[in-house]
Amino acid sequence: MKADLNKLPELNKTKFENRGKEFKLGIPVTNAVTIGNSIAVGFGDGTVRIFTSGESSEPIKAHKGIVLCMSKDGDNILTGGDDGRFLNISLDGKVSEIGNFGTRWVDHVTANNGSLVCSSGNIVYLWSPNHKEPKLFEHNSTIGGIAFDAKGRRLAVSRYGGVTLWKKDYSNKWNSSELNWKGSHNKVIFSPDGKYLVTSMQENQLHFWRLKDKIDSAMSGYGAKIKSFAFVDDSKYLATSGAKETVCWPFDGDGPVGREPTCLPYVGNKLVTFVEPFPNENAILAGLSDGSVFLSEIEKASNTIIIRSFTEFEVSAIAVTKDCSHLLIGDMGGNILWTSIWDEEIK
Amino acid sequence: MEETNKQVPVTVLTGFLGAGKTTLLNRILTEQHGKKYAVIVNEFGEQGIDNDLVVDADEEVFEMNNGCICCTVRGDLIRILSGLMKRADKLDAIIVETTGLADPAPVAQTFFVDQDVADRTKLDAIVTVADAVHLSTQLTDHHEAEEQIAFADVVLLNKIDLVDESGLKVVKERIKKINPFAKIINTTKCGVSLNEILNLDAFSLKRVLDVEPDFLTSDHDHEHDDDVTSLSFVSDTPLDMEKFQDWFSKLLQTKGQDILRTKGILDFTGESDRYVFQGVHMLMDASPMGKWPEGKERSSRLVFIGRNLESMNLKEGFENCKSA
Repeated sequence: MKADLNKLPELNKTKFENRGKEFKLGIPVTNAVTIGNSIAVGFGDGTVRIFTSGESSEPIKAHKGIVLCMSKDGDNILTGGDDGRFLNISLDGKVSEIGNFGTRWVDHVTANNGSLVCSSGNIVYLWSPNHKEPKLFEHNSTIGGIAFDAKGRRLAVSRYGGVTLWKKDYSNKWNSSELNWKGSHNKVIFSPDGKYLVTSMQENQLHFWRLKDKIDSAMSGYGAKIKSFAFVDDSKYLATSGAKETVCWPFDGDGPVGREPTCLPYVGNKLVTFVEPFPNENAILAGLSDGSVFLSEIEKASNTIIIRSFTEFEVSAIAVTKDCSHLLIGDMGGNILWTSIWDEEIK
Repeated sequence: MEETNKQVPVTVLTGFLGAGKTTLLNRILTEQHGKKYAVIVNEFGEQGIDNDLVVDADEEVFEMNNGCICCTVRGDLIRILSGLMKRADKLDAIIVETTGLADPAPVAQTFFVDQDVADRTKLDAIVTVADAVHLSTQLTDHHEAEEQIAFADVVLLNKIDLVDESGLKVVKERIKKINPFAKIINTTKCGVSLNEILNLDAFSLKRVLDVEPDFLTSDHDHEHDDDVTSLSFVSDTPLDMEKFQDWFSKLLQTKGQDILRTKGILDFTGESDRYVFQGVHMLMDASPMGKWPEGKERSSRLVFIGRNLESMNLKEGFENCKSA
């Protein structure tokens, strides 16, 4: 079977692959972040490359082992690695160290309005603009994920047993409250409208809290752990990986309780491993465990198109440029596709 | 089978305080072995030499929210192993150190429960470093010491230069009584070749076929109720699959907390394949393992290591599974 599969992609290349540019780097892609019309990509050998107009920069040696996590602060890239370092990288490749935790990994990084945040072990470190020393937020277990709300006044920290929600009052003092739910919580995000908080769990399910009244509920029924999920179209849907379809939960009105999700099916019967909302559209880019990538409109699943055929390697990153003209796809086998999104004759 | 080649073997290193675990870790980190190892430690504070990677972890035992009362996993391991699998260069092995008072079950269960971990890594063996001088007292005083022996695939009996021959015999008998399968290696200063403790594949179902426990089942005189012991059963009469599954799943559901490890090779009526399984508490890995070898007698063998085994009517339960 395998030998046959190796021959097929030549025949099956999509138009996006044909007009795009492929890079076979052989190093697992761990993260990708959009910075303007460039896309920064982190790799499993500790390097970062910046892709602009279909060209890759020289590899920037950032971490010793793995780029574990990535975010951005304005036009700068933030990374955390298994060498215990929290780094700031400029688009022209200058690396500066924000924090260093030795043999403790930097598992999560984020930023908001110049405040830089990372987590290592059970502690969140926050550097306010113009502060040399970070503020420490300690938790009772290793941190599964961190997220700011849109305004940067609330910082959610997921952990074993729930989420700690840190709120900054108007004297800039941070106060915490706890949202508890049994089990280990990993990635956490706010809905863009700030009304909901969603986590993925060690079990094959998600959990959400409606923040105004702390009502919470599980979203379950998945065949695998949910590694990737994101809100689409200004909080109308939550698109999720972890099944053979992209499962989109409705978060408009009173939220998903008692309502059915919309499921976007794909050919090939493979697990969805990565979801990325298409900016400003009610549409989802979904990457699968065999490397294929599809674009679907949530309310018109029949309009699904294939962007990339399979590579055999799980899709681990998808990012769209700010002007929505190009996208980048990366997988665990180190294959990268950079391609234009619109057909020339249409746009 | 192809999948197996991609899985990085993980060796779990347990041992009571002062037994010599750090000496062994230092040896792994300083020896010129030419391999690429990652060593996951607790507050070790040393850097790897010769290419090794040292990762700091906190032992975090998480309960799975799946209704299974004794299903605990090591949350930190899931995070670190998933991270290590994103590395560009392949690791030859991963070694996980546990603290002296740790119960090895959550570590072992992590490999049964987390799909990402199970896809990319495999539990290779549990290696327990034991102090030949103090083990007997530790076994009496601490449940954890008993569990570490009970779960071991290899016991490194260290500091044998500090006990006389009869003392050594007593401590070995004590180990055998708790765990008749563990391979005991005598050492001073953990002087053992690394290939005797790494890459053993002890948790593979194939290895269950090699199990030939010493039968020490008749002598139960000096036991307290909660001592860890082992019991083995053999039957030349084929078993009824339905009866066995019924009995065994009920047994694990109700007594899984006291049953630490199980292994078995089963001969079912009407089945041409051997069935092999092994388990940790309530979690089980089982599979048919090819035809019975020609010219050899077919028989079922079943082994339990645990507490309060006498109260579980295991013999009677097993007898009832025989085909009429």
